[in-house]
Amino acid sequence: MLSGKNILITGASSGIGAEISKELSKRNANLIITGRNEKRLHEVFLNLHDPEKSSLNICDLTVEDEQVTLVKNLPQLDGIVFCAGVNEYIPVKFITKKKIDKIFNVNYFSVLLLIQKLLKNKLINKGASLVFISSIASQLGVPATTLYAASKSSLNSTVRVLAVELASMKIRANAICPGIVKTPMLDNSNIESSSFIAQEKEYPLGFGDPIDIANAVSFHLSEESRWLTGNIMILDGGFTLQ
Amino acid sequence: MEIQTFIENFAAQFEETEISVFTPETRFKDLDEWSSLIALSVIMMVDEEFEIGIGAKEIISSDTIYDLYNVILSKTDN
Repeated sequence: MLSGKNILITGASSGIGAEISKELSKRNANLIITGRNEKRLHEVFLNLHDPEKSSLNICDLTVEDEQVTLVKNLPQLDGIVFCAGVNEYIPVKFITKKKIDKIFNVNYFSVLLLIQKLLKNKLINKGASLVFISSIASQLGVPATTLYAASKSSLNSTVRVLAVELASMKIRANAICPGIVKTPMLDNSNIESSSFIAQEKEYPLGFGDPIDIANAVSFHLSEESRWLTGNIMILDGGFTLQ
Repeated sequence: MEIQTFIENFAAQFEETEISVFTPETRFKDLDEWSSLIALSVIMMVDEEFEIGIGAKEIISSDTIYDLYNVILSKTDN
């Protein structure tokens, strides 16, 4: 389905990004995977279905010079999956400029700057598909998530604008808003795990697995979604229905 | 850090509970106002005021304010 397509995946060294890389590799895409953690990115790379068709690039996208180097080494792209993201639960009264910068630099500003460079350098092919991993946090009012939710809402807004700006080139832009997915981000968060276990009961279909997101991403990258653009997909096992 | 300073900072995370309620022996998770958001606020306060990183684990393992104070002290020593 994705045979022959060059696809860039950011945040590929863990969780959803790693699973997406594995799945897209199985579907014969040529991948360029990037991430900050060299050891984990190597592991993901070696576990790809066909590493020979893919390449990896250690890159901290929040560092301008590293982003410039990445862009210089990229081929023409048919798809990009923006997975890089961080989360930290911070009540509003504890927000600091440093925390705003940390979350927004990873979740939003670096994404925007990367797209700018890719477009300016004409590295995105006609008919390409851009997929942004957002979050249902962007649709809700969960306490202590304002920085994360706002950064993901910013992504959603950019998706809508990009969809129209790039429509003449048949480049599509869509976001996927997953509910809670079992990933290391969950284990590393500063919220106690028992509260997550209690929350799973609120998911009619249970928590998601990274493969559920990978399948949706694959659809977005394929020709099967060619009429889909500017869409914000809620992918949450029915959580927000209740 | 004095225990009294810690108690004042701890109490400041609550909006309704009288400050007189807070003593070293207070079993803070039994307080009516205790919530996951206040737990998070305590974690943030410890980071901000004492520059020590604690997580849910330390909150769960502490029953009284004194217990939590001791956990933080032990991290200070390190």
